[in-house]
Amino acid sequence: MTTELDQREDGELIGIILDAAHRGDFETMARTASEVSEMTRNWATHIPWDDLASLEGADDELARVVADLTEMWEPAHLRNPVDPDEEYALDKNAYDFYRPAGRNLLTRTEDFYGWVQARRRTETWQYSRVLEAAPDSVAQITNDLGRRARGINFNSQDYLSFNTHPAIREAAAKAMHDYGPHSAGSPMVLGNTRISDDLEAALGDLVGLDHVTLFPTGWAAGFGAVVGLVRQSDHILIDRLAHSCLQQGARAATRNVVRYEHLNVEAVRRHLAEIRATDTRNGILVVTDGLFSVDADWPDLVTLQRVCREHDATLLVDVAHDLGSMGPGGTGVLGMQNLLGSVDIVMGAFSKTFCSNGGFVASNSPALKQYVKMFGGSHFFSNALSPVQTAVVREATRIIRSDEGDALRARLFTAIHALRDELTGRGLTCMGEPSPIVPLLIGNEKLARTANRLLFDRGVLAFMVEFPVTPTGSSRFRLQVQAGHRPEEAREAARIIEGAIADSRAYLSSAFGSAPR
Amino acid sequence: MYDAIVVGARCAGASTALLLARRGHRVLVVDRSSFPSDVISTHFLWPHGMSYLNRWGLLEQVLAVTPAHTTVEVVNDGISLTGSVPIELLREYFRDLHGDDSGVVQSCASVRRRVLDEILVGAAAKAGAEVRTSFTVRELIVEDGQVVGIRGRTVDGELVEERARIVVGADGRNSFVARTLALPKYDERPRCTFAYWSYWSGFDLGPAQLHRRGRLACAVVPTNFDQNMVLVWGPSEWSREFRHDVPGNYQKALDFVSPELGEVVRTRGTREERIYGTLDQSAFLRPLHGPGWVLVGDAESAKDQCTAIGMTHAFRDAELVSAALDRWLRGDTSIDEAMTVYGDRRRSQNAAAYHDYVCTLAEMRPYRHDELQLFVALRGNQQETDRFIATHADVAPVSEFFQASNLFLLNDAAKESSADHAVFEDFAETSRSYQQNLFA
Ligand SMILES: Cc1cc2nc3c(=O)[nH]c(=O)nc-3n(C[C@H](O)[C@H](O)[C@H](O)COP(=O)(O)OP(=O)(O)OC[C@H]3O[C@@H](n4cnc5c(N)ncnc54)[C@H](O)[C@@H]3O)c2cc1C
Ligand SMILES: Cc1ncc(COP(=O)(O)O)c(C=O)c1O
Repeated sequence: MTTELDQREDGELIGIILDAAHRGDFETMARTASEVSEMTRNWATHIPWDDLASLEGADDELARVVADLTEMWEPAHLRNPVDPDEEYALDKNAYDFYRPAGRNLLTRTEDFYGWVQARRRTETWQYSRVLEAAPDSVAQITNDLGRRARGINFNSQDYLSFNTHPAIREAAAKAMHDYGPHSAGSPMVLGNTRISDDLEAALGDLVGLDHVTLFPTGWAAGFGAVVGLVRQSDHILIDRLAHSCLQQGARAATRNVVRYEHLNVEAVRRHLAEIRATDTRNGILVVTDGLFSVDADWPDLVTLQRVCREHDATLLVDVAHDLGSMGPGGTGVLGMQNLLGSVDIVMGAFSKTFCSNGGFVASNSPALKQYVKMFGGSHFFSNALSPVQTAVVREATRIIRSDEGDALRARLFTAIHALRDELTGRGLTCMGEPSPIVPLLIGNEKLARTANRLLFDRGVLAFMVEFPVTPTGSSRFRLQVQAGHRPEEAREAARIIEGAIADSRAYLSSAFGSAPR
Repeated sequence: MYDAIVVGARCAGASTALLLARRGHRVLVVDRSSFPSDVISTHFLWPHGMSYLNRWGLLEQVLAVTPAHTTVEVVNDGISLTGSVPIELLREYFRDLHGDDSGVVQSCASVRRRVLDEILVGAAAKAGAEVRTSFTVRELIVEDGQVVGIRGRTVDGELVEERARIVVGADGRNSFVARTLALPKYDERPRCTFAYWSYWSGFDLGPAQLHRRGRLACAVVPTNFDQNMVLVWGPSEWSREFRHDVPGNYQKALDFVSPELGEVVRTRGTREERIYGTLDQSAFLRPLHGPGWVLVGDAESAKDQCTAIGMTHAFRDAELVSAALDRWLRGDTSIDEAMTVYGDRRRSQNAAAYHDYVCTLAEMRPYRHDELQLFVALRGNQQETDRFIATHADVAPVSEFFQASNLFLLNDAAKESSADHAVFEDFAETSRSYQQNLFA
């Protein structure tokens, strides 16, 4: 083996061959090539290792071989210069900055900020856009470089187009007139009005549960319900994709958290059996969304509720997106599964369909209500919804339950089908089921970011969701449809979106598609 | 007239030929090499790579001459994790990709290519494929825009022509088929590593060890002939300086990344061959198929060695493409449909996420604070450590591990903290020092 050991390293040999080629020394080229290892010869099969001498006189061929050898020899990034901002902006994701180094909390945010700035400069940062007028089915916005755009608006959540509804605006004006803009206290400290009580009753009617508590935001409702009920030694089983307010509530409440596979009721059954095999004393809260906001699907709640009861576990369902916007009489996924009044705990947010900030928690237990009010910190220790907000939501609830509500939902679903059909017909993948959320799958973050940049100037306003909202590598556009969208608008938007995706794929020269596996 | 001609007879080609021949198709597979012979590679097989061999009935032959283990040790800036790829995740991988999970094994091994490729070529021949080695393809025969065959030169310099219903390009990164068809490259990521390795006798350290410190890394893996494959790698930006003194810098890199391993190699090791190296590893994809041709292995998708996955990917391609071609050759489906199925699998979201994962790792930036803290959080959490290793090896999807709620939970469940690890002591200064080219 000593002879093999003494042989020179291939890089050195290639260097010698290149120098010799430069001098036109074909003899040295051929002699040196014979020393190149079998490894490299069998790999760099495009180099005529045995015929280098025959390149004499064949100038084109020689030039090609020299180029190929140089390519093996020189770092590739020197050949393909890239815009450093663009590279940085597109190749990172927010989680890369989640655990910064250093003991100074003020200065250690700088790295992240550098990345934000790179994304701003390359116009791939969508988080600082502002509205210039009401977020109607068409909207006008400005990005953080001060550039304006007007487009078909799938970027706002107002599923029944209540923001421009005269009765809603009138209700707001009347409450403003009667009570002023301010609630001036926590709901436990004189912050509620008679409208608040009416609203709790109306919501209870809608979901078929007797005891409702209002919260200042949907986020506060989810977080408050979980931390209000669950203690350190209790357990939480939570769908992996459940909303952030529930995930964070779970983390804050206990270390005993299991994130089960999305929608998998069998997995819940298994985990419950495992927990109950060793722990018969403590509570278990099972947590899921109704309509999931980035996948547009929902669980089999009938089985889930049954499985929970079998194991003495409590079910909490977040109906933020589906309540009011779908299901018979606007009763959402609960109504669709005939579960009105029979789910342990229901929470929701007003911010999608009910045209306001705010959220609620509902159950059939007056005790649970009082307990969550006291121990879910976001209720007791936060200013109550304003009178204008409660009045708006009360009016929205009335319309949702009326014939007009049915008509609005019908219009909404006509637009939803138009959008989904047109996107699907163009070979794109809409995830989930028809619902006010149409998740259009992209996958790769770079592709999604550049497509979003193109859309800005092409008359469609869309929100791109990426990590940490979606798992890495499965970014998507979350298109939120409104009853006010005309079907032609939806189809036009689909055409524009398809064009932007195709153009950014060409821009990135990417061959990846969006099939999941 | 053959059903298929396969150009290239190694991980991608011999396997494709083997699987097609076993299904009764007439296959010709050619390679300009003769066997046994080596090709550039540090030849580590993760458990799914080993599982493919097992599914094809070849694992025993490999294990008869190759040491194998079920665990690997990964040490990042002194933070050590040891684990193995969970069997359940392996099953899931095979079910998702190939529709059945038979033959799954949990072991991994480093198999010299002169050993492995010989076994593959032998198996292809035994299955009934016609194998011609020392046969160089010189031309593709194209009629009406359709590839219909090849012209090539045999061992004795004779020029021959062969035709088939499909030509499979399994001819590696520098694919002749791709070059001849002037195929473009997609998703290029020029930043990659330089890698230098050799074979050492004189010590046996058990399962594979992968170490990383700053912008450099090394691996020591037991392989055939009672030797160890000892590899160092770093960012290709540093390659020029490294090359000024390859043996000296090879040892210097080892000493820097893991003084303990450096010492073992220096004092107990005997180098048995020259040092091999390359920095030609920038990543790209090529179009997968066209009229009369389809690509597999490195020819369709080449990437950096830093996750040691190319051979396993070549096996995966062989199973995917042979299943697709079989359906078409038997008349169950059209070629377009068959190729669409292959394409969907190969250009999926998961594949894109893993491509990005490898390419980003191959830039060899020093680990960030948050990445190192993640490794700390994984210590003592065997289940998640194993899942991380499975993700790194492309068994489990990147998206399942790198998911916000999972990472938050990992954090919360951490048993150790940065106080337990030296690298965090003066982290800012340490990371600055890592930016300096060790070989300048
Ligand atoms: C430094 C380095 C380390 C690596 N380490 C690992 C690792 O640890 N684990 C791992 O899994 N992967 C590793 N890889 C990747 C792995 O080696 C490749 O992915 C794998 O070899 C690809 O197999 P293949 O069959 O597609 O191509 P190849 O193995 O390159 O085979 C192609 C064959 O085609 C033949 N051929 C080419 N042109 C013609 C022609 N015109 N006529 C006839 N025949 C032709 C060649 O002779 C060759 O035999 C590494 C790669 C590098 C560069
Ligand atoms: C499922 C779900 N729950 C809760 C919330 C929080 O609601 P809000 O925006 O009212 O705080 C949202 C909205 O982001 C949501 O999508």
